[in-house]
Amino acid sequence: MAFCTGCSLLCDDIEVDFQGGKIKKTMNLCRKGHAHYDSLGVDRLAPAVDGSSVGIDEAVSAAAEVLAGAENVLLFGWGNSTLAAQGAGVKLAKKLGCVIDDPSSYSQGLITEKILAGDFPTCTFDDVRNFADVSIYWGDDPSSSHPRHMSRFSYFPRGEKRQRGYEEDREAIVIDVRKSPTAQIAADGFFKILPGGDGEFMEALMATLGGKIPKVEDKKKMLNLGTKLRKAKFGVIFTGPGLAHSLGGDLAGFASLVGRLNELTRFSVIPSLSDYNSRGFNQTLFDKTGHVNGVSFKNGVDHGPEFGIAKYLDACDAVMVVGSDPAAVLPGTLAKKLAKVPMVAVNSFKNLTTDIAKVTVPTAVAGLEVGGSALRADGLRVEFDAFVESDYLPDVEVVERMMEAV
Amino acid sequence: MAGKAEVTVITYRGIFQEVEEALGMYSEGYRDQSALVVLDKGEVKELGVEDGQPVILENGFGKVVVTAKLSEDPHPGVAFMPSSPWSAQLASGEVGEDGILDLKRFRAQVSKANEAVTTIEEIGERIRAA
Ligand code: SF4
Repeated sequence: MAFCTGCSLLCDDIEVDFQGGKIKKTMNLCRKGHAHYDSLGVDRLAPAVDGSSVGIDEAVSAAAEVLAGAENVLLFGWGNSTLAAQGAGVKLAKKLGCVIDDPSSYSQGLITEKILAGDFPTCTFDDVRNFADVSIYWGDDPSSSHPRHMSRFSYFPRGEKRQRGYEEDREAIVIDVRKSPTAQIAADGFFKILPGGDGEFMEALMATLGGKIPKVEDKKKMLNLGTKLRKAKFGVIFTGPGLAHSLGGDLAGFASLVGRLNELTRFSVIPSLSDYNSRGFNQTLFDKTGHVNGVSFKNGVDHGPEFGIAKYLDACDAVMVVGSDPAAVLPGTLAKKLAKVPMVAVNSFKNLTTDIAKVTVPTAVAGLEVGGSALRADGLRVEFDAFVESDYLPDVEVVERMMEAV
Repeated sequence: MAGKAEVTVITYRGIFQEVEEALGMYSEGYRDQSALVVLDKGEVKELGVEDGQPVILENGFGKVVVTAKLSEDPHPGVAFMPSSPWSAQLASGEVGEDGILDLKRFRAQVSKANEAVTTIEEIGERIRAA
């Protein structure tokens, strides 16, 4: 059985006949996973310094020089790295006395941190498949981002206590600003909210759960939702980037709602994370420091938004980006700031970030060209083996070599 | 009639975009799935904007040319755009106290374009030229 690192569902039931770098036949791989396999021969990164090709050893030495010669280093990315590389990354940050961060600092980090700290109840995807009767997708469109989410776990499958699947045993509720593909599946369970209207929706839902008449246009639909949630035996809320960005840093309303639902019945929270091992990085850093992102090791352990990439770009004088593409994701004004900082980019593929890097260091694609381990979005640890042979270095080896060299 | 309309742009991720991104972000396929904006047909009729034609999206943070997709479903004042390097050029670089960025929503003006859709190479050059 093969493995897919195309997203944080980390599907482990893949059957694939892969010949000459192309898939001949496959079972269970979704479109996105298929493209992930096909990508092995596309836009691969080569070792380079200042745009000139060099050998891998020279690239690693040049990368170490960039890091060692700076005062305020930022190590950023890590969502597409193995657990071993993430652990080595945290050690490197300690050794350098620098800042380490991932994209969760400007998106879903606060929600993940509350889950890891035990403030929000959570469960595994397997619990969802076996027991969940109500799935709420909030600002989340797994049909697009995690294509097998609904079919493997949250809506369509039969499970231990959910033998009649979506036809009778499961309810899908989608709260979103647009009728996404997931919302189309949920049909009557779709609640369209105004941009930024998540807080207002939460208030109305809290009122409903408290037995009050909600201040919304369609009172009947909201009252029905309240009844469904109250009657749920095993509910789960999948939080997407839409919710995280709408709430910003203020999770109080969401925390109250989760608390209220758990007074009435049982509701868990699982974040829908994009990179295959985002959860792994958050857990690795949390285990070492009590924080999921934005940590400085300059004076012991410091944490705060000032150590998230969005703010720290103003202070850092060198950055290493591992398995990520902040130049493509960050607002243009911040991407321009990033371009001014001497940068090392460690990645399997070329992207806008590797294009502006001073030093590029290629790595093997985890789960396909090299084995390792990772945490699924629900926190379950999975181990995977290499699937094809490769000359590229594993990400952990690159980070460890840098550690020796700095 | 030429002119501009002010819209709130909401970003999203689409499965076909995810697929094209995995297959390489320098491809035409990725640009086709990313450099686009879904506009309310009724709302932009007066601007002379047609389905499949390029439009300019601009605000105080940047400007890009993307392909217009006109939707029959009304969503006045709101446009939808795949989350991508194109949308990032228009997202606010202002960082909240908590460090969170609002990458999902921004205001922009839309108008008919007489120029080609911005390429990812152009975006890369703009970033580098800073
Ligand atoms: S859902 Fe995610 S992990 Fe599963 S096959 Fe698709 S891309 Fe791969």
